[in-house]
Amino acid sequence: MDLGIRIKDRHMWMVFVLPGVLLLVLVLGFPAITSLSYSIKPEKAGPSSYTLSNYTNLLKDPFFGKTFWNTAVFVFLSVASHMILGLAVAMVLNRALPAKPLFRLIALLPWVVPDVVAGIIWKWMFNPLYGALNDLLLKIGFISTQVEWLSNPKLALFSVILVNLWRGFPFVMLILLAGLQAIPRYLYEAAAIDGASKWQLFIHVTIPGLRKMIVVALALDIVWEVRRFGLIQAMTQGGPGILTEVLSTYTYKQYFQFFRFEYASAIAMVMTVVLLFVSLPYIWMISQEE
Amino acid sequence: MKKIEIIGICAVVVLTVCSFTSAQAAQVTLRFSDWHLTEDVWNKSLNEGMDIFHKRYPNIKVTLEPVSYGEKETKYTVESAAGRAPDVFHVHAFSLPMFFGKGYAKDLSPFIEKEGPGFLDAWYPLPIELMKHNGKMHAMPGDYMTMVLFYNTEMFKAAGLDPNKPPKTWDEFLDYAKKLTRDTNGDGKIDQWGFGTLGAKSPGFSLRFGPFIWSFGADYLTPDMKRSALDSAEAKEAFAFFVELYTKHKVVPPGLTAMGAQDVRTQLAQKKVAMILGSGWTPPIVNKINPDLKAFEVLKAAPAPVKRKQATAIWLSSWVMSPNTKHPNESWTLMKFITSKEIELKWFVDNRVTSSRKDVSGVAPEILNDKFASVLASQLPYGKVEPQIKQWPEIMDTFNTSLQEAVVGMKKPEKALAEAHERINAILAR
Repeated sequence: MDLGIRIKDRHMWMVFVLPGVLLLVLVLGFPAITSLSYSIKPEKAGPSSYTLSNYTNLLKDPFFGKTFWNTAVFVFLSVASHMILGLAVAMVLNRALPAKPLFRLIALLPWVVPDVVAGIIWKWMFNPLYGALNDLLLKIGFISTQVEWLSNPKLALFSVILVNLWRGFPFVMLILLAGLQAIPRYLYEAAAIDGASKWQLFIHVTIPGLRKMIVVALALDIVWEVRRFGLIQAMTQGGPGILTEVLSTYTYKQYFQFFRFEYASAIAMVMTVVLLFVSLPYIWMISQEE
Repeated sequence: MKKIEIIGICAVVVLTVCSFTSAQAAQVTLRFSDWHLTEDVWNKSLNEGMDIFHKRYPNIKVTLEPVSYGEKETKYTVESAAGRAPDVFHVHAFSLPMFFGKGYAKDLSPFIEKEGPGFLDAWYPLPIELMKHNGKMHAMPGDYMTMVLFYNTEMFKAAGLDPNKPPKTWDEFLDYAKKLTRDTNGDGKIDQWGFGTLGAKSPGFSLRFGPFIWSFGADYLTPDMKRSALDSAEAKEAFAFFVELYTKHKVVPPGLTAMGAQDVRTQLAQKKVAMILGSGWTPPIVNKINPDLKAFEVLKAAPAPVKRKQATAIWLSSWVMSPNTKHPNESWTLMKFITSKEIELKWFVDNRVTSSRKDVSGVAPEILNDKFASVLASQLPYGKVEPQIKQWPEIMDTFNTSLQEAVVGMKKPEKALAEAHERINAILAR
């Protein structure tokens, strides 16, 4: 190739990769570096140009500790329920069902709804006075009085997780369904000939066959759930108290409501480090494959 | 055709094209952003206002940028940080210290000086003071309204209460609220409540809590705004009174901590609650939610009830010019237009919001003869504004968090308030 300058063929890949790398640096690298630099700036202008006080203040902030714990509970229960329901639905949809494409489409619908829209819809569903959920449960006699789904301290976080289960399971289902379709039929047939039960087929054929897909789904789902913002903000804004406050809503609040850019950036950097650790198995697995 | 004629025609064409392009080049486009653009009634009104502006100033074109009420600070912060904020935008007055602190509001004093002495005399002194940063005007005041009690006269009659005698004290208010909390269909379950109010973490919460805390004789902060004043006996009394409306007297519908302003207005529109605290925007929005209610006929307004002194919260909005605007003179022309006497009166007629101009709210027959606006205007002398300090949103969020914890029974009111007091002191000491 002659572009006025001669590039050896073995170096041509650099030319093709360069625009993508530049774009990544621009849209990911620049904000990340800006956040990092904000996080080590003092909140008050003073003699020191750089400081770790925003990070040490995190340790003293009681709301941050509770928010971190809420995030851990939210992510653990959301991801666990996504995996269980996602796998169950994927296995059903992998069977020879009539109108299979239609069922797959229906199962995917919650994933198509934007986060904030889902939050607003479910906030109405949970409304103690007009909400469809209370109305339904009252009619079938399951409850005798209105349940305060988003105001009861024992229910608020679980109500949000319930909605997040509905909202997020299709993604896991989609990945696991692809994995199920890639498991060779002969493995099931051979095991069945050897007298394996359905449970044994599931444990010794399906799960090992899905291992890589499970790691991918787990890693991506954890990353997305740590970042989940619109759903919670639309439903509870972190309340009652700070029972449903998670790191993403707390960061947003510090940044855009309190204008504490430096402190908010420190929280964002902590989230980034946590997510990096969570992503390691996924990155390791991808590099092993390559 | 003779040569001279051809030259003449060519000259006319060239001159026409040149004059057209120079007029085009002289036209300036301004970006104008307001959360009201997302509200039906206001949107129509603002568009009509801009039509008038375009006719008067054909060289200025204004493009409208809607933003949701909850997202406006986010949008303007991000855009200001990037140097791309709208030329003119609308925010709460209590957001101003944060915009001032970050340098996101242009100094308007050169423009105001050019208008001549006495230009600002048309406005009430309080809103003018709140627009100043380091003694210089950095914003222009907009809507200026007091929070008052709105009640449904038909529900009053059905509960055996005289609709011409609204509650005057908070004790009387509680008595009324209990009578208005009823089982209207005889199924043994309460389906109508006396009072609807916000409990969600929303900017509107402080407007609804102000009439309680200030009327009880308490305040959030000490006069120098250096410490929390929530440890006073009056503050504890006001806090407990509000919490017990929900926990003890049960005159507020379930789900308080998730209820935002629109949820509460919907409760009033659907006759689920008989009284709410609101302002000029309340009747048109309630009417829009449920036209069958006939809000303008059925609703009445009264001053907020009193405990120790007459006091209520003031809603004040402000117009800000971006320091990054490329057209400051045209932006000022637009700001002057939207805050002019004529247009402020239009905002009232269309949207029922009273003005921060005393030559509008204090004298306009349209306001003084209006059954809602006259009550709002009568309360302006008793109005208080929230502390104009940059920590205010964080302080209010902390207070709201503690109130929610008390409302849902996680903590006793005294403990929740004591924690809020400590945390607010920590915020102020930072």
